[in-house]
Amino acid sequence: MINKVIKYLSSLRFTILLICLLGLMFIIGLWVPQVRLVKDIYIEWYKHSPRLVEFLDAFGLTSIYTSPITIALWALFFINLALVLWQRMPLVRHRIAISDAKITDPDRAAGYPFKSSFPLPEGLDGESAVARLRGRRYTVLGDATGFYAVKNRLSPIAFVLFHVSFYLILLGGLISVYTEFIGYVDLAQGESFHGELSRYNASPSVKLPAFGSPPGVSITVSNIVPQVVQNTPTGISVMLLDGQGRAHEVGINTPYSTGPTSFVFKHLGMAPHFVLKDATGKVIENTLVKLDVLTRKPDKFNLAGYTFTATFYPDYVMDNGKRATRSMEFNNPVFFIVVEREGKKVADGLVPKNGVLEFAGNRLEMEELRYWVRFYVIAQRGLPILYLGFAVACIAVIWRMIFYKREILGAVREKDGERRLVVAGRSEYYKSLAEDEFTKLFSKIVG
Amino acid sequence: MAYWETIFYWVALVAYSLAAGGCIYSFVFKNPRVMPKITLLTAVGFVAVTLAIVARFNATGHLPWSGHYEYVLMGGWFIIAGTLFVGWQNKSLQGLAVGTLPLVIIMMGYGYMQSPGLTPMAASLKTIWLYIHVYFAWLSFGAYSLAMAAGVLYLLKQKSDALAVPNPAYDRFPTLGRLDELIFRYVVFGFITDTIMICAGAIWAKDLWGSYWAWDPVETWSLISWLVYGITIHLRVTFGWREKRLAWLAVAALSTVIISFFGVNLVVNTSLHVFQVR
Ligand code: HEM
Repeated sequence: MINKVIKYLSSLRFTILLICLLGLMFIIGLWVPQVRLVKDIYIEWYKHSPRLVEFLDAFGLTSIYTSPITIALWALFFINLALVLWQRMPLVRHRIAISDAKITDPDRAAGYPFKSSFPLPEGLDGESAVARLRGRRYTVLGDATGFYAVKNRLSPIAFVLFHVSFYLILLGGLISVYTEFIGYVDLAQGESFHGELSRYNASPSVKLPAFGSPPGVSITVSNIVPQVVQNTPTGISVMLLDGQGRAHEVGINTPYSTGPTSFVFKHLGMAPHFVLKDATGKVIENTLVKLDVLTRKPDKFNLAGYTFTATFYPDYVMDNGKRATRSMEFNNPVFFIVVEREGKKVADGLVPKNGVLEFAGNRLEMEELRYWVRFYVIAQRGLPILYLGFAVACIAVIWRMIFYKREILGAVREKDGERRLVVAGRSEYYKSLAEDEFTKLFSKIVG
Repeated sequence: MAYWETIFYWVALVAYSLAAGGCIYSFVFKNPRVMPKITLLTAVGFVAVTLAIVARFNATGHLPWSGHYEYVLMGGWFIIAGTLFVGWQNKSLQGLAVGTLPLVIIMMGYGYMQSPGLTPMAASLKTIWLYIHVYFAWLSFGAYSLAMAAGVLYLLKQKSDALAVPNPAYDRFPTLGRLDELIFRYVVFGFITDTIMICAGAIWAKDLWGSYWAWDPVETWSLISWLVYGITIHLRVTFGWREKRLAWLAVAALSTVIISFFGVNLVVNTSLHVFQVR
């Protein structure tokens, strides 16, 4: 019984089944809405169809990539792969082995589908023909009276390497998952951050690592310069100073990485510096407000008991009597601010850079307009292993599938009064195409 | 679309349509002699698409990398480039156009409907990993399309060979044995470039989004299609699947690639709809 189970676990039929099942799980994952991808609407969905969601939840189908079924399939996949690799090692060793015993009669060699003979022209002796084969990256055993030639002999090793790379990717992935720290932090131009957990955004909440501690980092945002052409953001340059005062530039595709921690630019917002003064000119509040207004939606902030709703126009213009923006370029940044107290509108007005909004005897002055950025802070420790896995996979698949093995048996013989190079050949993967290749090869060698 | 881009796009579409019509004529009327003319027409269409890309480059300052219309433009270019290249290397392979031309025509028709406005290059696209990722994505799409075309040719030729009087239009094409191996060879080439594409995509994602794999729908579909081709290679190498079965596999597997490029939103949006999410 146990033997039967192990036999099935190590069968290639099971491999196909497992890959198909994993593929199926991924397809189901695309089709059934996943909590992690649509978190906000998941809750609403649950309210709307609790029975359905509970049913899907029970099978782990709404978090399918980490569901017990998927994890079990992955586990079986790696067990199956290990067993198959283990069993195949002798075969791989046999395939790459080379010895004089391989030199056999090309006319009668079994398992060599390509059989042919080519007349050797005057002036080309058998040894020179063999030397030409060597010149074409064949390793040759024997001599013109009988030889065995092989090209890309070690290619079967790449089969092992390619499949072993999956373990590297798995290991890198697992280490990453268990050492992963994720948090979001909003920093305005001029602000410093020293990795304090309390300064990470409350939502989405911080993910602490299962092993290890949150990243200890120290940065100051020295400058933020967004680039926009019409309505397309074409770049951003965020200058950071690290704890040692060294400068680093963060762009869209270039996070700031220090050890296993990366600061990835996620979001840009406007940070006006407001000073609220009363009728006597006394400062009531003096603060930098981080507003999320670049998606053209208004954002709110509170000062001294008032609620302010700000809509931002980066390139302000009056269009047919309506407030509008010409583009998303920051050519004429203006806020339109509505002031409310206890739900009642008090005033509204436009506030450009260095502008003022007067309401109820107060003055809201914009001293300065800066940007703020949201960083996605992520620390993972498995990446070097993961990337090594990628590199091994790419190299191995090229090695295995392009530089596959070809073998030739040959001998120079007298036939019908003519000296001929008699050959038999075989190739991994191909028969007809290999015949074309061998015909071309020998035509060139004797040509 | 830029002015000249539109013109060349249409020239290409007409040339490809005529060439596809020629293929059908050749098979239905058993006339193998038109094949060189079909190849010439395909080449004319290819030059026109190249010029359309140049015109777009001129207008936007970057190669067409993103959005469905640009996928169509570059994807079509790579598929036909592959078709012409293999046909040029080996005349008996000119018939692969019978599979790739209809695919590219449908893609181009679809692309045209996607409001192909001219936009500057978004910041997220300015990285070497993107170039590697996209370039290998096109190569693999091209190779898988050729595998599909070789599969179609195999199935057609096999049907014809089974007749009492085989259709002479197929005589120009490689033997069934060679076609069978060509399917595998193109699948393998596609698989290699697909592997590189996914690895480069993960590295790009790490820089852009912070995580190398997020089970985003496009990532997931690419993985599915990579696995499907992995299964295809396994079935061939370890179970000896060949000929008709392999041909059908090569044709069917391409659907997963098309979904990764063009249909993921469709799948995800309809599922949200069916499950009444939102
Ligand atoms: C449990 C998992 C797996 C097992 C046990 C397995 C096993 C094997 C075996 C035995 C071969 C034939 C080697 C030979 O005779 O030359 C093979 C080949 C191959 N496999 Fe897998 N495989 C697995 C997963 C995968 C996956 C996920 C992929 C990629 C999608 C893949 C891609 C390939 C490729 C490209 C080949 C052809 C290269 C060659 O012939 O060595 N394999 N695999």
